[in-house]
Amino acid sequence: MDEKYTLEITDLTVAYDNKPVLWDIDLNIPEGVLMAIVGPNGAGKTTLIKAIQGLVPTAAGRVLVSGKKYSENRGLVGYVPQRGSVDWDFPTSVVDVVKMGTYGTLGWFKRPGKKEENMALEALEKVGMLDFRDRQISKLSGGQQQRVFLARALVQNAEIYLMDEPFQGVDATTEKAIITILKDLRSQGKTLVVVHHDLQTVREYFDSVALLNVRIVASGKVENVFTTENLQATYGGRVKFLDQDLSQNAV
Amino acid sequence: MTLQFEILIIAMFVSASCAVLGSFLILRTMAMMSDAISHSVLLGIVLAFFIVSSLSSPLLIVGAGLSGLLTVVLVDVVNKKKFIKKDASIGLVFPLLFSIAIIIISKYAGNVHLDIDSVLLGELAFAPFNRFVLDGTDIGPKSLYVMITLFILNSFFIAFFYKELKITTFDKSLSSTLGFRPNFLNLFLMGMVSITCVAAFDVVGSILVIAYMIIPPATAYLLTEKLSYMIVLSVVVGILSSIAGFVLANIINANIAGSISVVCGLFFLIALFLAPENGIISNFRDRVRKKWQFSESLLLVHLSNHEGQPDYDDESRIDHLNQHMLWDMRFGEKVVNLALKNGNLLVSGQNLVLTEKGREYANEIKKDTV
Repeated sequence: MDEKYTLEITDLTVAYDNKPVLWDIDLNIPEGVLMAIVGPNGAGKTTLIKAIQGLVPTAAGRVLVSGKKYSENRGLVGYVPQRGSVDWDFPTSVVDVVKMGTYGTLGWFKRPGKKEENMALEALEKVGMLDFRDRQISKLSGGQQQRVFLARALVQNAEIYLMDEPFQGVDATTEKAIITILKDLRSQGKTLVVVHHDLQTVREYFDSVALLNVRIVASGKVENVFTTENLQATYGGRVKFLDQDLSQNAV
Repeated sequence: MTLQFEILIIAMFVSASCAVLGSFLILRTMAMMSDAISHSVLLGIVLAFFIVSSLSSPLLIVGAGLSGLLTVVLVDVVNKKKFIKKDASIGLVFPLLFSIAIIIISKYAGNVHLDIDSVLLGELAFAPFNRFVLDGTDIGPKSLYVMITLFILNSFFIAFFYKELKITTFDKSLSSTLGFRPNFLNLFLMGMVSITCVAAFDVVGSILVIAYMIIPPATAYLLTEKLSYMIVLSVVVGILSSIAGFVLANIINANIAGSISVVCGLFFLIALFLAPENGIISNFRDRVRKKWQFSESLLLVHLSNHEGQPDYDDESRIDHLNQHMLWDMRFGEKVVNLALKNGNLLVSGQNLVLTEKGREYANEIKKDTV
């Protein structure tokens, strides 16, 4: 194969109490794609994102980032965790949270300065949150919180972004704003892997998709892979609902 | 320095040492870990005592530190079992370790000064009697030097690892992907908590240690929205509580540690009521203000909806408001008065008329809610 893969996942298996949550995942993600990871609840979408970054113990398998082990190339990977994974009552401001994205390049002990402040403000402007820079984070709406997380990822200046449900619980305007930014990142050659739950918008938002249900059912370009057959294989019993979806969305 | 003054200074340094660490304990929802550690360090002290047979050896602190870490690790191990939650696993681990220590003391160390009452309550009043003598000169109570050292250590720890502690506390997963070591830092923090607990409880007892670690930071948390301010403010609150508690103890002639704990609690209560943003009173005021504001806007929108309509005369009559808005007369009167005061309404005969300002206000609201 001549195609260049920016993320190569081979035989990745994660188990809790000897029960596989992810089973023998082989997934090669080419550079510059905007890929959705879809699958039913409990399919292991979040676990996959975490396992790639070594946040959960893996039973087997390996992950290569631009041809090297994740631990050697972690600086290339930006992470947007689920919004609900942090305590929004933490005593800090919007711009402070965004600055945390620069901590990786700063390394241990070095403090963020003027340069990091400017990076944070620039990212806040991109996500339309500059006016909220000094706001205490507990006073943000769900959509605003998600934008802050996105801004924090932007200052990481990564090559690959792993995002866990960035559209969860946000209003339509924010969803549009976020997808615009994601497409913009793709046009800069970045690779984006996004856990997504809304099958309706997969065709509109993404160019690639991976269908996951403990195993990878299929992955590749949306037009090749996002078929009724594959969705049935992924979602099992809930095919009726899916058939309707697909006939509405048929290209 | 008089003895009294020495006691106060010691208490102040204990409170400051505890407060700098306590802020992070609270934000990591690990406040009760200080409870666990401050009790289970006793086991480390006792075991170390049996090895070195001396109560003044620094090895006792090492032993205490290790047993503190053991507590943290055990709590984690028990917590990994799905059906046991964090709070329960803390409650499972430390009474066990503490009780083992108590049994050992009562069985084998009867003639040693390891008295269980002083472990729990401490006796701050006796702290100055253990003097630090250098070259034959008395340079003050030993525990004062211990606590000053500890305060400096803790402050350096927080200052050095400020950024790292902040990100591992706020977002553990992200911090891990950025190359920081949240588990290592957590153990480091817990190690510092353990050392602080053992040094402090010898002086003030474990109850005041817990009070110092949790209450001043919790008070500061109510009063500020910035982590660095929270840490500084918790030190200030801790020191003020020490002073006020010390004075109280002298007035009512009671146990100093107990009095300080009570004052810590009082300060927290005051903050809970009076905090500018999150306080009970300001929340209550806010709710009342919003209620009136909302009622006023209901009235203005109602009038603006009927403006220019044939039924306006009927809909805007003051004495008909109770029918249209389903308000009782007195409430309606108050709302009208508020709107008059704000210049949004005028009274013309029996009717209410919107002013230009009131009309704009109503239109603004209608635009927002579409």
